[in-house]
Amino acid sequence: MKKKLLFSTILMVMLVFTTGAIAADTLKKISDSGNFITGVRDGSIPFGFHNDKNEHVGFSIDLAKEFHKALEEKLGKKLNFKTIVVNPKTRIPLVANGNLNMVTGSATHTVPREDTVDFSLTFFLTGSQLLVKKSEGYSTVKDLSGKKIGAAQGSTNEKTIRNLNKSGYFNPAVRLVVYQEHTQGMLALNNGIINAYCTDGSLLAGMKSKVKNSDDYMILGEMLSYDPYAYILPENDSNFRDFINEQLIRMFVDGRYMKYYEKWFGANGVVPFPMTDDFRTLIKLQSWPL
Amino acid sequence: MLNYDFKWSILWTDPYGGWILEGVATTIKLGVLCCIFSMLLGIVIGTLRITQFKPLRIFAEAYTEFFRDIPLLVQLFFWYFAVPSLLPENMRTWVYQEIPDFEFWIVVVGLSLYSSSRVAEQIRAGINSISPDQFNAALSTGFSHYQAYRYIIIPLAIRLVIPPLTTEILTIFKNTALAMTVGVLETTFMSQQVEAYTFHGLEATTAACLIYMIITLIVVGAMGRIEKRLAVPGLIIRKGANS
Amino acid sequence: MNFEWQVISNNFFFLMGGLVTTFELALIAIAGGLTLGILVGMGRLSKFKFIYYPATLFVNLMRTQPLILVIFWFYFLVPLIIGRPIGGFTSAVIAFTIFEASYFAEIIRAGIQSISKGQMEAAYSSGFTYWQAMRYFIIPQALKNMMPSLITQAVVVFQDTSLAYVIGLREFLRSANIVDAREMRSVELYLFVGLVYFIVCFSMSRICKKLELKKGYA
Repeated sequence: MKKKLLFSTILMVMLVFTTGAIAADTLKKISDSGNFITGVRDGSIPFGFHNDKNEHVGFSIDLAKEFHKALEEKLGKKLNFKTIVVNPKTRIPLVANGNLNMVTGSATHTVPREDTVDFSLTFFLTGSQLLVKKSEGYSTVKDLSGKKIGAAQGSTNEKTIRNLNKSGYFNPAVRLVVYQEHTQGMLALNNGIINAYCTDGSLLAGMKSKVKNSDDYMILGEMLSYDPYAYILPENDSNFRDFINEQLIRMFVDGRYMKYYEKWFGANGVVPFPMTDDFRTLIKLQSWPL
Repeated sequence: MLNYDFKWSILWTDPYGGWILEGVATTIKLGVLCCIFSMLLGIVIGTLRITQFKPLRIFAEAYTEFFRDIPLLVQLFFWYFAVPSLLPENMRTWVYQEIPDFEFWIVVVGLSLYSSSRVAEQIRAGINSISPDQFNAALSTGFSHYQAYRYIIIPLAIRLVIPPLTTEILTIFKNTALAMTVGVLETTFMSQQVEAYTFHGLEATTAACLIYMIITLIVVGAMGRIEKRLAVPGLIIRKGANS
Repeated sequence: MNFEWQVISNNFFFLMGGLVTTFELALIAIAGGLTLGILVGMGRLSKFKFIYYPATLFVNLMRTQPLILVIFWFYFLVPLIIGRPIGGFTSAVIAFTIFEASYFAEIIRAGIQSISKGQMEAAYSSGFTYWQAMRYFIIPQALKNMMPSLITQAVVVFQDTSLAYVIGLREFLRSANIVDAREMRSVELYLFVGLVYFIVCFSMSRICKKLELKKGYA
């Protein structure tokens, strides 16, 4: 009997230490603390950034406010809406260790990331594309073989270019120049240091729309990778994930989602990025019956 | 509090271990080249700062102030993003497209110029610390100005400036980390690259810290040897001098 | 290549906003670095091993590291350890304070050492405690003696703040970078940034030279 007890205690301890998080109850945590704490981006236009008036705004922040409203309704009490700025390096660990209830940013949903956290439904669809100067006369991505392409460090775009080099898609291989951020890439492209800059199509559209000589640039049509964005949620909390997904579906169906899409990505939005057919279909397919 | 899954094996897993080693190789290459160039330039400029010929002296002074009073990062950005756009179109294309490792060489130029101004300051201070009597003594033994500098003043000054130059060399190696901002794949860059691919930033960055520490120890050790060999008898070596 | 200097005047307020951040960061870093540096510098001269060794280790460790790596530590990695994100400005302030403290500490140490032992003993014999003697006699003199080195280091800190660029802080260099990415006038903007840094640093080093001359170094 004693042995059994000892054994099960050890097993318990081991479980606690190895899994770390055992089925966190995020909804209860939010209700108990009275705070809804979400991680947001700063500098990811237009998902989360500081605008000209220095206000922290964005598409994902608008959606986060909708989640906040829905949470207040569900829990039947007032909740503080707290945003904390995260970056690509901190966003996953901070949800994993329970400091944030979720991250409403612009993270690509990938399988390796599923090891440590969960993800919501896809709320945005984009992929790696190339921005080039019109005057250089490229019409397809392959035309850039042997040229210099820039990308941001650690991005899925950088990995995409590396993989295309490895697979022999570019022949001869392109020279990859890795920058710390998009503004540098844009400068390098303009000054002729690189021939193309690679990042997610939606971001390229934002970059292109912001420069003065916008008409000198074009985005090559082909999508070189597929980047579905989703919100980061705590691992093993199916209740909370269901709740967030349900809210997303309600927004897809009742038009709130499209309203925000128009606001940020419409023709008069911060980053004009017309919804592709694939994207539209994806939203439709994800709208599970309520 | 600490909810982080340490996985030190990441550092010797293929390809991440190789990346870090490549980064170290680049850091060393960059550091050594910049040390050589900045020493050569620094000695020239430092000597010019105390010549009798006024225009040269003013040029040398302007040079040191110019490169010393602007942050290195600003200088690197200027060399990388701005200077080539001053070139004519076809030459610019040639520079960007045909020079292999363009990013690397731009940093060599930028960092060498920046560091040379700091080295020049140390050389000047070193020469100034030699009393004019020694110079006059050399002249009276029949040495020309050139010879007096070449055989007496400069060798003496070099010995005196070894400790502060050690600090400068260490600074150069530390400053090579800035090369990451213009896409040179050196140690700091590679540690961040490993982080981006594995999400194990703590391990990768700790490794980078250790590498810089080892580089420091090697430089300090090597310079200590040189200092011993060159020590001027009868002169106390200034230890731990820092600018 | 023709120059378009209007890019500076058109974006003047935005650029100056960045310069203000740079000054804020530099002032806090100098004040914090100097304060911590005084403590560490005293620790470096302590006869208690449990103070001397950590202080020495701290100084020697920091001085082997590139600043950019220290900035990364506080921005990306410390949040993982303490489980809470630190804002860009706060993390930069902490990184600069700790990093520059190691450089200030060595200057302060040299300054304290330059003061004769007799003074400390005189202070003790007139009934002052260690802290009082340090506070009223030794440190003020050390600071005064080391003024040129301290100013030189302050100039270095001011230049170093440009590295906050790497964590996305909107300081002077980044503001210029942001404008550049929109207006595409690299030459004008970086020349302007360089000029402003030059004016500030050059005047500081002139002040420093004057002080040195006054003291009869040179």
